[in-house]
Amino acid sequence: MKVGKILKVSGPLVVAEGMDEANVYDVVQVSDRKLIGEIIEMRGDRASIQVYEETTGIGPGEPVYTTGEPLSVELGPGLIESMFDGIQRPLNAIMEQVGDFLEKGVVVPSLNREKLWHFTPVAKVGDEVKQGDVLGTVQETSVVLHKIMVPYGKTGVVKDIKEGEFKVDETVCVLENGEELTMLQKWPVRRQRGYQNKINPDEPLITGQRVIDTFFPITKGGTAAVPGPFGSGKTVVQHQLAKWADSEIVVYVGCGERGNEMTDVLLEFPEIKDPKTGESLMKRTVLIANTSNMPVAAREASIYTGITIAEYFRDMGYSVAIMADSTSRWAEALREMSGRLEEMPGDEGYPAYLGSRAAEFYERAGKVKCYGSDDRIGALTIIGAVSPPGGDISEPVSQATLRIVKVFWGLDASLAYRRHFPAINWMNSYSLYQSKVDGWMDKNVDEGFSDNRTKAMSLLQEESSLQEIVRLVGRDSLSETDQLKLEAAKSIREDFLQQNAFHDVDTYASLEKQNLMLDLVLHFYDEGLRALKNGMYLNDLMNLEVRDRIARAKYLEESDIAKIKDIKVALTKVIDDLIAEGGILNA
Amino acid sequence: MIYMYKIGVIGDKDSILPFKALGIDVFPVIGPEEARKTLDTLAKSKYGVVFITEQTAQLIPESIERYNREPVPAVILIPSNQGSLHIGLNRINENVEKAVGSNIL
Repeated sequence: MKVGKILKVSGPLVVAEGMDEANVYDVVQVSDRKLIGEIIEMRGDRASIQVYEETTGIGPGEPVYTTGEPLSVELGPGLIESMFDGIQRPLNAIMEQVGDFLEKGVVVPSLNREKLWHFTPVAKVGDEVKQGDVLGTVQETSVVLHKIMVPYGKTGVVKDIKEGEFKVDETVCVLENGEELTMLQKWPVRRQRGYQNKINPDEPLITGQRVIDTFFPITKGGTAAVPGPFGSGKTVVQHQLAKWADSEIVVYVGCGERGNEMTDVLLEFPEIKDPKTGESLMKRTVLIANTSNMPVAAREASIYTGITIAEYFRDMGYSVAIMADSTSRWAEALREMSGRLEEMPGDEGYPAYLGSRAAEFYERAGKVKCYGSDDRIGALTIIGAVSPPGGDISEPVSQATLRIVKVFWGLDASLAYRRHFPAINWMNSYSLYQSKVDGWMDKNVDEGFSDNRTKAMSLLQEESSLQEIVRLVGRDSLSETDQLKLEAAKSIREDFLQQNAFHDVDTYASLEKQNLMLDLVLHFYDEGLRALKNGMYLNDLMNLEVRDRIARAKYLEESDIAKIKDIKVALTKVIDDLIAEGGILNA
Repeated sequence: MIYMYKIGVIGDKDSILPFKALGIDVFPVIGPEEARKTLDTLAKSKYGVVFITEQTAQLIPESIERYNREPVPAVILIPSNQGSLHIGLNRINENVEKAVGSNIL
């Protein structure tokens, strides 16, 4: 193939001429050091190439080799528990070769070529297989059964298939038409992997985070955005979801954020036990890291690399969740490249195609019927953090994201300042999956669940309007029922919504526990109203000892949640006693 | 038929007994608990106006506050036989201020 010549180097952007044989989005190798780059624009025989590695020391006149292939990821056993960079280079293997920091032109295959995997055939000789059909399985980790599927576009009759130990690139199955299939597939990252048809997502992704599951649920196959100013806990929310969400595979993309956040993931995840399987969380996690000091062009690719891997697991019929922290850095990478390409800038310098790129990414989520004759159902959930500068979500990246995603968890600096974590603002967050999830909750958790949720939400809303009156004329001017309302809303906030991510028990609450807790907190309001109606004084209600027990309900272990019901009974009894005494406490 | 509200007075026995001569029901109380209970009972049993001595009212500010917001009963503070604590007068001043915007008294 023809070799191009570098004309210009501008940071991660290289312009080369003599590239008339190449196509846009082809991968090229820049200079003799073979830096990996991707063509993002073609004008005549001039190609603009974004280079995924440092370009220092590269100059005009050096050669550019075209590979004729689009940027692809390798899909096969060995993905789980690995940590890749933005273009799927395994960081562990690179570290063994060159040390702690990335060097230029290191070539390491994405998946370990030496490791042997035990392949167990599912398809038999003589079976007719089409794309997406499961040929066999590999137990990748103790919790993940990796299904080896027929690659897209291939059909035929199985001629030979054998069980045994194989390397990823060895043939495990031969078709009648002579096609040799390995455990390894390649897929271009910028292209969505296909499916039979999309299904309306209606099952909630259970995250164990009370404010999310109860008030702003996300479905398996849904999309969510977590915008928030710095310090408001975006990363902690993302980590919590990666830890506790009940998806079978988690892909965590650390995109342009601090390196120590990835370190946290690396240190914490192996130690945490998944409540469902009892195994280490790392055994179902794939990490993609492009931290803030890694090449900016690869940041643009990291999101696509992550989602392609996620789609691959979705095709096996798993429920996959991908966390992207943060998509703002990705958009900034787009902006940087766009600026260097001298494109006409849109709002705040972001390229005009920011919205369509973001949509392209988020639209790859969904609950689908996968290819394959067994009609597996897989789901891919996307949760993207957005870091709007100054916390003002009227900026382009937040707006472009909010147009597409269906769940918005708005983090609030003032809540974070008050130490209310997770700092998800209940007044402006929303979930468009609510109506679907309500039905599911009422059926699967408790039939009063959605009623309770609506009640709690309206209490919180009334609280905020009452707060305005309080700010003007003082709390004492409110009637006792309104003061009780304030007290009940405070209890919802403090005893229910606040959740300590670093507390052993409180970090995860099952739906059962959430339901009981919400019921208990609301029960206090109902009983309080009843007591006031019977002439009791608000002060006596406030000083009830049982309120301490309500506040501590969140620290009850999952095995002890029946005790929450006891508190409820005790509360009713205390109120009954008080009313019997004529509303006066024995001081 | 016009409903007839009753008038009651709460306080220490010595201060309130003379009201009996006027045909007002008197309720001598000792201590905050009894005072509170008596006031609550009167409020429930069709008393339109309740006089209460400042000394007693001092002990149960919450209850006084509670009936402030309700049309009946009107709880009116009166001095006792030990003299005035000026709570009652202050309350009148406050109410005037709320009503007309400045203290015109």
